[in-house]
Amino acid sequence: MVNAPDYESVIKKLENEELNTTVGPVPCPVYSKLLALYVQQNDLCNAKFLWKRIPDSVKQSNPELKSIWNVGVQLWNRNFTDAYAALNVEWSPEIAPIMQNLQHEIRARVIKVVSLAYSTMDLEAFAKSLNYSVEEATRVAQEHKWEIIDTPSGKMVCPVRPPYSYAQVTSNEDQLAKLTEFVSFLEN
Amino acid sequence: MASPLKQFVTSIQNLSAQGSYREIVDMLNKSSDVLVKYREQLPSVLESLDCQQHSLGVLAVLCLELSTTAPMPPDTFEKAFLKVQEFLSTCNGEQIRLMPDSFAELCHHLTKNLIEFKTPMRGIAILQKAIKKLQMSSTQLTPVHADLCQLCLLAKNFKPALEFLDIDMVSIGQENCSFDAKYFLLYYYYGGMIYAAVKQYHRALFFFEVAITTPASAVSFIMLEAYHKYILISLIIHGKIIPFPKYTSQIVARFIRPLSQAYHDLATAYATNNAEDVRNCLSKYHETYVRDNNVGLTKQVLSSLFKKNIQRLTRVFLTLSLSDVATKAQLSGPQQAVVYLIKMIEAGEIFATINQKDGMVMFHDDPEKYNNPEMMKKLENEISLCMDLNRKINQMEEEIDVNPQYVKKANSNQEEDLSPGQGLKMSYSSMNMPGVKE
Repeated sequence: MVNAPDYESVIKKLENEELNTTVGPVPCPVYSKLLALYVQQNDLCNAKFLWKRIPDSVKQSNPELKSIWNVGVQLWNRNFTDAYAALNVEWSPEIAPIMQNLQHEIRARVIKVVSLAYSTMDLEAFAKSLNYSVEEATRVAQEHKWEIIDTPSGKMVCPVRPPYSYAQVTSNEDQLAKLTEFVSFLEN
Repeated sequence: MASPLKQFVTSIQNLSAQGSYREIVDMLNKSSDVLVKYREQLPSVLESLDCQQHSLGVLAVLCLELSTTAPMPPDTFEKAFLKVQEFLSTCNGEQIRLMPDSFAELCHHLTKNLIEFKTPMRGIAILQKAIKKLQMSSTQLTPVHADLCQLCLLAKNFKPALEFLDIDMVSIGQENCSFDAKYFLLYYYYGGMIYAAVKQYHRALFFFEVAITTPASAVSFIMLEAYHKYILISLIIHGKIIPFPKYTSQIVARFIRPLSQAYHDLATAYATNNAEDVRNCLSKYHETYVRDNNVGLTKQVLSSLFKKNIQRLTRVFLTLSLSDVATKAQLSGPQQAVVYLIKMIEAGEIFATINQKDGMVMFHDDPEKYNNPEMMKKLENEISLCMDLNRKINQMEEEIDVNPQYVKKANSNQEEDLSPGQGLKMSYSSMNMPGVKE
């Protein structure tokens, strides 16, 4: 997988560009890239309001904006299968890498949600929610060491809850300093 | 240029060169008649003043130019806009802080005009700069904050306002600044709306609470609207109306409450946990909600009821079939139940696993054991916040203790109130206050 580019600073830059355009209209690529990035970051609130504030004339002259927002709408409704379909259109070279990355992100998210929310799940539904064929989905399940069982109603995957992962422990001295501060505060 | 104006310009230039800004302020307060009289010639005055060196002079002139009651013609405003933009980004902070009222007024005028021309977006970056110029510290609230929030709401662009909203305010106004309560209330009202729009409901609730609990002696529309939104958001988060703190002014209970029947009825309907009741209430008062622009929030209230009902199920049952979840939570069917369950599981609002094989769902306990470094970190942060707050309060109390007016009042109370009753109690406590601290 390619390293995720630093989207946050790009977003910041585009936001400033939009704000500081006080004379004349905001250039259209700013809108489409910003919208795509908000959707990619799953920052759907901001994407929604950006979509609402883009002038109608701009939307009409640039149909790609609508396609980007379509993806956002499907994600808003948590309709992953339709989101893949919405993703599956021709993107301009500026937007394409973001959308590719988004597809990757959605899959990661689906796998995480499935592992949390299901003890058994229909294999076909699992494949559909990943936009994979049943064979590919089987491979993903095996990668995660999820068992696949046969039931009267078809094949089922048995996802395993991921173990809790802890962040790095802070240095002991730091902690000690903090505790000292707390105690001296409470004593006074 | 008329000679009184010439004189005006020269004295500003001279006084600015000497650095006697306070004298300029005095002069400007006296010479507003002259400026009004020669209104047509103000552009030439502007040309002979420099935004940075003669900030105070430029401020007075610009403020007057924008303060027309009649709507400005587009090209005049365009010129003024560019000038104001230049002024707000280059003016001298030290100077303009001597006339904060005029500075705020200029920003209010700018906001008003931008709204009239339906271009709120253009003002956001400028007002951000203006606030930073006017502030002594980032935790100081200025009247311009409300303008920025209003523009952001109208432009549907909230991030620029959130930068400011996320900072907790500890002081308002400053020396020689009259802070109109309207802008204080508006800041918290608009701020609450912005947080509600980006679904940071807890913060929104806090902002509305500040607006409602502001000391008041008359009903304000801003407070009334904040009260409505407070009820809705309180229902969304907590499923009931969180009672107001004791220091809330009497007005809220006496006047605002009776004006909010539609919202109190909704809360009553919500308390039955019956989606049908809530739906009936929503359609009964639909017009009121539309008029108050609260339809979006009322929809969120309904959807939060379903979530609350599911959450209640997790407390009673260990396993439940999906169709039972749907019936008990009054959802349309197992399909919708799955949608809600997954949404809530992903958000960490419930802990459950769905078993598609048997069509069952199993509810679990919160896996948090409160024994990991992350929790420790959270605890540390909370403690630090509390400590900062405590420090701040001590500092404020000390400021009040040494305030001459307060000391005078406290002393006179002691002398007057030696008669028995309420007064005695008061003077007793005020006499003892310093002792307790030592």
